[in-house]
Amino acid sequence: MRWRRSLFAFLAVAVSCSNPSVEQIKVEVPPGVVVPEGMAYIPAGEFIMGHPDDPKTERGKKVFLKAYLIDRYETTQARFREFKPGHSFQGGKDKFPASRVTFQEAEDYCRQAGKRLPAEAEWEKAARGVDGRKWPWSGYIESPNDGFSGFIPEEVDKRPEWVSPFGIYGMGYNVWEWVSDGYSYQDMPEKDKGKFKAVRGGPTQTHLTVKFTPAYFRNWMDPEARYNFIGFRCAMDAE
Amino acid sequence: MKKSLDGIKFDRRRFLGMSSSLAVLGPLAPGRAWGKPDYRNDKNIPESYIQNRDIPDFHIRSANPFLGVDVASWTLSVGGLARKPLRMVYEDLFGFKTYSQVSRLKCVECWSAKAKWEGFRFRELMDRVQPDPSAKYVGFQSADSYYESYLVEELLMPRVLMVLRMNDQPLSQEHGFPLRLIAPFKYGYKNAKYITAIKFADSRGRNYWANNGPYSVDGTIQPGIDHPLDFGKKPLPINGGEVFHPFDERP
Repeated sequence: MRWRRSLFAFLAVAVSCSNPSVEQIKVEVPPGVVVPEGMAYIPAGEFIMGHPDDPKTERGKKVFLKAYLIDRYETTQARFREFKPGHSFQGGKDKFPASRVTFQEAEDYCRQAGKRLPAEAEWEKAARGVDGRKWPWSGYIESPNDGFSGFIPEEVDKRPEWVSPFGIYGMGYNVWEWVSDGYSYQDMPEKDKGKFKAVRGGPTQTHLTVKFTPAYFRNWMDPEARYNFIGFRCAMDAE
Repeated sequence: MKKSLDGIKFDRRRFLGMSSSLAVLGPLAPGRAWGKPDYRNDKNIPESYIQNRDIPDFHIRSANPFLGVDVASWTLSVGGLARKPLRMVYEDLFGFKTYSQVSRLKCVECWSAKAKWEGFRFRELMDRVQPDPSAKYVGFQSADSYYESYLVEELLMPRVLMVLRMNDQPLSQEHGFPLRLIAPFKYGYKNAKYITAIKFADSRGRNYWANNGPYSVDGTIQPGIDHPLDFGKKPLPINGGEVFHPFDERP
């Protein structure tokens, strides 16, 4: 299935989504770049990746990325069902994020859509913007699901108040998301090297306490894992 | 294990305490129907009863204190939407091919404990009773009134075992004799003990703790923190799903 191209791509000033609380970065899409429907253009430039306090991250260093496009929303169950009709979501709702998807299935979905999984750096820049903020929405907020033991998914466009500075939804709540990178870090035990993929952006929980993880936090997962809290979104090169 | 819920401190033990004040309004469902004492609402549980105990290497959790299963009268019924429902006695359980694994039981209360489990695959049980294709769900009933629900596909995952032995010994009464479920990617409360009935269904039932507290039916272990008993309850990060710590061997 090919993605549809939008008509408003040329020299558009994309002030993403109407949003009451998160100040949006004004993005100018260069001439010749087509932004498909449902994607956002992330311009070339540096951003702050990781945090000095978290040794498994890039520790807050500046990382330059060339321009890219990323899905504004997590891939929905409806879209994934078109790709894989028999997939079991455990409680299907069209606008909920596709979940119980392995890394390979996520990668295959993106490829058939003419896209790819985002690199970890691309995911993090889209989530944090360029000012090194801890959460996409900047300030601390309580999880609305605090006090419950399980994962509660939501419609992928439910929280306009929690979009990232680039207008991306779901980057810090809803499902954890597969990214293309393997999971590794300095001094990683030899026996664990090469075994895991990074997943980004979901909540963590300890008993009945549910917290949003910082946007720089890196979780890890067996690529064969198929859990209700793992989904994905796609990205693509801007040229 | 405490969390404010609408201003109320809520945890499983507190729930059990709260429920005692409601006892006069009637029994909690299901549980009393079989005419046995219900010690959920009583602090004076006889010592001989299976009950919550913080055994250092592997805590015991049991929803409804009871004396344990008398194997002479125990049977396992497997039926519901199935072409060949059956009823088994304890000796019948040893007719299945057995597998063993070391895996953690991760309690929603935060702690986890590791054991060697031996048992058979759910697939083999399914092959015998031949559930209807519409039967996508399975309900478990336990001897202590506990009940759980699963998707069939979850029970067919590689590390799920119908367990008969623990740490090279027959299951103890406290750990679920004569038959329990181990699904290592689910919180401990999903790992039903003292199973007496397995029922295939075309709709999802709920489970005991979803009906009696803020606990999900699904019960998949979420990313967060674990406090393993074999690591002095010191906090360690977990990525979600089956728990493996740096000192655990992965399959």
